[in-house]
Amino acid sequence: MRYLFGNGPARMAPYLLVAPGLFLYLLVAMGPSLATVVLSFTDASGLPRLPIHFVGLDNYKEFLTLGAASKENLQALVRTLLFCVGVTAIQFTFGLVVAILLNQGLRGTRFFRTLFFFPVILGVTIQGLMWTLFLYPIGGPLETLLNWFGLHSEFLGGQATEAFVWVMVVQIWANMGITMVIFLAGLQTIPDEIYEAARIDGAGRWDLFSRVTWPLLTPAVNTNMVLTIIGSLQAWQLFFVLIGYRPGTQVLGYLVYATAFGQTTGSTAGNTFRQGYGAAAGVILFLVVLAIGITTQHLLRRREERLLG
Amino acid sequence: MRKLLVGVLALVVAACGGPSATPAPTAAPATTAPTEAPATPAPLSGTVRVLIHQNPPFVDFMTTFNSKFEAAHPGVKVDMEVVNANDLAAKAQTRLTAQDVDVIDIFAFDKAVQPFMKNVEAPGWQKLIEAGLLMDITDQAFVKNYDPASVADAGSFDGKVYAVNLGRVGYSGLYYNKDLFAANGVAVPTTWTELVAACATFKAKNIGCMTAGGKDGWPIFVGAYGLLGSAFPDQAALVQGLWDGSIKYTDPAWLDLLNKYQVYDRDMMEAGASGVAADAAPGRFVSGEVAMQAGGTWYAAAIDSLKPTFQWGYIPFPGSDNAADNTFMFGKYDQGWAIANDSTNKDAAVAYLSEFSDPANYQAFVDAVGPIPTQPNAKLSSNLGTEIAPYLATFKIGFENLWNGPKGTGQYATPMFANLFKPFGPFEDPAAAAAQAQADLQAGLDAAK
Repeated sequence: MRYLFGNGPARMAPYLLVAPGLFLYLLVAMGPSLATVVLSFTDASGLPRLPIHFVGLDNYKEFLTLGAASKENLQALVRTLLFCVGVTAIQFTFGLVVAILLNQGLRGTRFFRTLFFFPVILGVTIQGLMWTLFLYPIGGPLETLLNWFGLHSEFLGGQATEAFVWVMVVQIWANMGITMVIFLAGLQTIPDEIYEAARIDGAGRWDLFSRVTWPLLTPAVNTNMVLTIIGSLQAWQLFFVLIGYRPGTQVLGYLVYATAFGQTTGSTAGNTFRQGYGAAAGVILFLVVLAIGITTQHLLRRREERLLG
Repeated sequence: MRKLLVGVLALVVAACGGPSATPAPTAAPATTAPTEAPATPAPLSGTVRVLIHQNPPFVDFMTTFNSKFEAAHPGVKVDMEVVNANDLAAKAQTRLTAQDVDVIDIFAFDKAVQPFMKNVEAPGWQKLIEAGLLMDITDQAFVKNYDPASVADAGSFDGKVYAVNLGRVGYSGLYYNKDLFAANGVAVPTTWTELVAACATFKAKNIGCMTAGGKDGWPIFVGAYGLLGSAFPDQAALVQGLWDGSIKYTDPAWLDLLNKYQVYDRDMMEAGASGVAADAAPGRFVSGEVAMQAGGTWYAAAIDSLKPTFQWGYIPFPGSDNAADNTFMFGKYDQGWAIANDSTNKDAAVAYLSEFSDPANYQAFVDAVGPIPTQPNAKLSSNLGTEIAPYLATFKIGFENLWNGPKGTGQYATPMFANLFKPFGPFEDPAAAAAQAQADLQAGLDAAK
């Protein structure tokens, strides 16, 4: 057998070339993840010279079983799942509809494609600022509109459910562009001849979508589904920017940050950093994402095999 | 190829070994030979990295102070970062840990763990000290410029001084617009009933009753501290009572307080206050759209700077129908200074705080920012000084800065830290809010047993 870099010791060259990249990956990506798992069994506060004690499963027990706070943690977990389901369903559907519309070759397609993708390039802070202004409850655009009908809302500062829904809206607005682009790329790989053949066979619009477009979009569907599910399970920055740490609105990702970095009260007084406990919450979030991610991928792969062979 | 390799290597070496952004201070040359005259201290050099929190008058003052400090020490550059108050603790810890800061703005050492507290987390400042991240400044001369009580109460731990506190602030008060009150024939309220009536008068004339910053969940609820103060003037005893069970959130006194808190949220606070950022609240107040602003004394400077001719007064929140109960001002020791123990430029950091603490500079700080001074000879000569003078003798540290709850307590166990009632919070029934608060607290107390 002949190797690309020759026989003898030179055979090792590919492994040596891969090694630095692999080492960097392990150091930068795997290192912090493993450290988080280790940290979750300690009372670390993130301060370098404080002794760190091994506390076994205490952080996990506290998070899952201790007092009323543990019930709130479980509520945050349920809220995270609701956020994931809501965002995934709506973002996926809107992204698909918009991509199909923009794939029709109508006038203004490029403008609208840019318009829909535009929010993606803005940072979370800018996105949050824009929506904070849009939803400003004293003379903001939407408040003015509501006033015409004699209504008023506190929007992000009002009822927890309403604030939560607004964050979902912003999350969808901010990320729908990516979903749309992936679907658009998928749509453009489907040859026109297939549609022509289907039309000759008498297929109507719905048949074209359900029997040609939808099955052949499977790779794009899978990619979008996984990206949106994982992205929405991990989302917390918009909660931080738009509504802060308020009762009844926390998701698990925000809980991890808030407990690790002393952001659990509205006060500046005596903030305490609990990075060991925050790490335990992070590991629980990771396990949730892992379970849902693996299940989703498994189901999507089976579907892909069934449809595309 | 070889040239390219050499070029890349040169870049890597330059990147790794380039000059530090913060040059180390020039060390004074070691002298072994005896000298007849005392050695002149080496001139200060390098960068002083300073971290402060956002408060426009304070930031303006510090910008001017930094220019003066740099002019007095030509070899020194001040690199100041400003962060939101809520982010200060996280940023300070990160930069202290990274040995990337010399002087930090630090809030007072409050929420100290008391002997009767069990299963609580030590406050962040205590952990910073135990980690050796704050410099022991006990023997620094500038510490003596400050009132010993403030040094002991707000900057000391285990007999050593780690921070100087720059002032107390009251947070249980109400600003009122004198012109609006006079024009509408409303007397300054001294009781709860009078306050309710004043609000009704203003609302009938299409003027908002009061505003407060609610966008970040803070400080919209601080008006409730006035209600709390009227009902429980001894808040240290309240904290202990909640811990030992002798006071419950479901007690009649607390229920009465929550009934009033509901009126505060529902009827007194202007619609949309939850969108007003803390820094923007003085703007709403000065605009004349609302008659009052619930908030701390730290807003006085912003109100004056927004409209120097604006006529305002400041009173303790009248939460009781007995006027004598409404004469207490509650608050806290506020911001202070500490030096990073790992500072690479300690001499300059000490000089920075020494110059800040110079009585003339400190007085300028008090004039600009408006805290209740912690240097004995400084005077709060502003309008706020006049307004708050009657309450200084009975000034008390408030609940927020004393309460430290056990692990496992729910989020309503400290009901004064959240907006409870509609339209800002979830509750419509004060009894339900009280029951939830007590259940959340009891869960933590039970877990601590």
